[in-house]
Amino acid sequence: MAAIDVRFDAVSKRYRLGNAGRGTPRGGREFWAVRDVSFDVPHGETLGLIGHNGAGKSTVLKLLSRITAPTAGTITLNGRLAALIEVGSGFHPELTGRENVFLSGSILGMRRREIVAKLERIIAFAGVGPFIDVPVKRYSSGMFVRLGFSIAAHLEADILLVDEVLAVGDAAFQMQCYERIDELRRAGTTMIFISHDLASVERLCDRVALVSEGRLVSCGDARHVIAEYQQQVAHGAVRDVAGIAPAPTPGTVAIRTVRFNDEDGREVLSTSTGSRLRARVDLNVKTPVPDAVVEVFYYSRDGRTLHCQQSTALSGDALTLSPGDQSIEFTCDQIGLQPGIYAIGAAIRERHGSGTLDWWFGSRILYVEPGKSVRGYFYAPHEWRWIGASQADRHPADV
Amino acid sequence: MHTVIIRPASSGWLRLDEHVARLGEYSDLLYTLTLHRISVRYKQTSLGIVWAVLQPLLMMVIFTTVFSVLAKMPSDGLPYGLFAYTALLPWTFFSTAVTNATNSLVAHTQLITKVYFPREILPITYVIAGVFDYAIGFLVLLGLLAWYHVPLSGYAWNLLPIVALLAAWTLAVSLVLAAVQVRFRDTGVALPVVLQLWMFGSPVIYPLSVVPADWRSWYLLNPIAGVVASSRDILLHRAPPDPEPLRIACLVTAVALPIAYLFFKRAEATMADVI
Repeated sequence: MAAIDVRFDAVSKRYRLGNAGRGTPRGGREFWAVRDVSFDVPHGETLGLIGHNGAGKSTVLKLLSRITAPTAGTITLNGRLAALIEVGSGFHPELTGRENVFLSGSILGMRRREIVAKLERIIAFAGVGPFIDVPVKRYSSGMFVRLGFSIAAHLEADILLVDEVLAVGDAAFQMQCYERIDELRRAGTTMIFISHDLASVERLCDRVALVSEGRLVSCGDARHVIAEYQQQVAHGAVRDVAGIAPAPTPGTVAIRTVRFNDEDGREVLSTSTGSRLRARVDLNVKTPVPDAVVEVFYYSRDGRTLHCQQSTALSGDALTLSPGDQSIEFTCDQIGLQPGIYAIGAAIRERHGSGTLDWWFGSRILYVEPGKSVRGYFYAPHEWRWIGASQADRHPADV
Repeated sequence: MHTVIIRPASSGWLRLDEHVARLGEYSDLLYTLTLHRISVRYKQTSLGIVWAVLQPLLMMVIFTTVFSVLAKMPSDGLPYGLFAYTALLPWTFFSTAVTNATNSLVAHTQLITKVYFPREILPITYVIAGVFDYAIGFLVLLGLLAWYHVPLSGYAWNLLPIVALLAAWTLAVSLVLAAVQVRFRDTGVALPVVLQLWMFGSPVIYPLSVVPADWRSWYLLNPIAGVVASSRDILLHRAPPDPEPLRIACLVTAVALPIAYLFFKRAEATMADVI
């Protein structure tokens, strides 16, 4: 059994709402951001912290980093703690990049000696070499963020808090950040990782803790807890997307439901990236619809981003619907969606008509589990073959 | 292994030794931030560091015009410009440092809500930067003394502990006001008026000798009075400082500073929540 590096023992944090300067600071409404939370993080483990916005994740981090004191309970830390949060903390626009490395580095808890020793590596990691003696107010926002992260990433810590900072920078820089985190993990740094990016959480974390309304709901195996969280958010997603539906023309046709089937025709609620998936739209047609277009939409859980659309208008012949119950089936050989949770919508309209005949948004949620490894925004189905060395060398013009 | 135990705000805040030890761990940050204060202060001003000299000098000219030429204020028989400048130097240090320090936490909201470090570092850096400005202003004072043919006496070294006393008192006031400002922004709004009153309540434009004897013991509870009077004794009267005002000033500061620090640390625990 490894030593415990971080111990949360029945920790609670109460905030008083309202303006402290006005009226009686003692009165007013109270809000428990964290309520009776206990957990341990053994040495060398990476613990993921997930939950809705406002569930208490950031408060846990603030308590750990001593930014604010708990209302009750004790937190025990064994080792030096550093927080990889809010990139560029303490940057002063008038100072040069180099001066800011010293300033921000010492604010984050580095000793001057340590900064001097790491200065070259920090500058190289940030990739701002030629601009290091220029005031940071002249930096592009990308350079600013990279330099900030680079300082934080070189903190010497036994316990590292990572809060959603990986959403910064371009793809190349993000990859560099992940590599640095992996490097620190291999070196035995204990980590607490907060992110909304469940794919990263699953990839990086040994265990995951789910917080909801200030309480620790569950803590354990990453896959298991993430699945629990996805079910929790499903209801919220349904509510959000329902609000964006266009008004349908009633009475012509009704979409009854959308169902998913796997390769063997069994109905499924989840699939995995790169798997074969069939989506079936069940319709009840009342009056004939000439040249109909049926579409299925996949929304991400924020309810606003359309990730994928399948439409009968994209291929095949014109579809004319006569009255009665019927179904349209879409087949996707290798679904390209990232692991995550998607809210499903469906619509039917006439190709040349103006309005939507029916819009369906039921309670259907599709879970996409990690399947084919995805690095990027989606999985693109592809094949590969080996080309003999002699052939590869030959220029097309020689053939 | 370095073990840290984080407890609720209500327990452990009386451990003065722990607070000081933790502050010691952050000495590098204190150093870097102070350096930063001094170097940034006059960035993008065309006169730069000259302002540190110009500010008290201009005040001296204004004060001499108003209080000596127009109002005929007594100055213990000393040239009024020299008399006023000797007091303005510690007074400007006090009022500037307190004004900056009071606002220091609120001005760094971004840092306070994102990163932990002992928060007292912010007001302390402004006080230390004030000492730096005092040193520059003192060079001007040396020039003035030479101009008026007043040589330095053997008591001049006494000024060092007096500046330390002034800095300690300034820090005590700064810690309390900075902590209160986080919760009640009224502090910063009222401060200019309070400082104005405070200046008239200190022997800056007039000598300590004109304060009625009945008021004297109350009057001296203000450590600035002791600091200013002693500075004049040492530099202008070329005599050892009058022990009574100095003793009271030391006593008041010695009591006030630890209390102010504990008050600050108690408020620190929830500063990030209310700022």
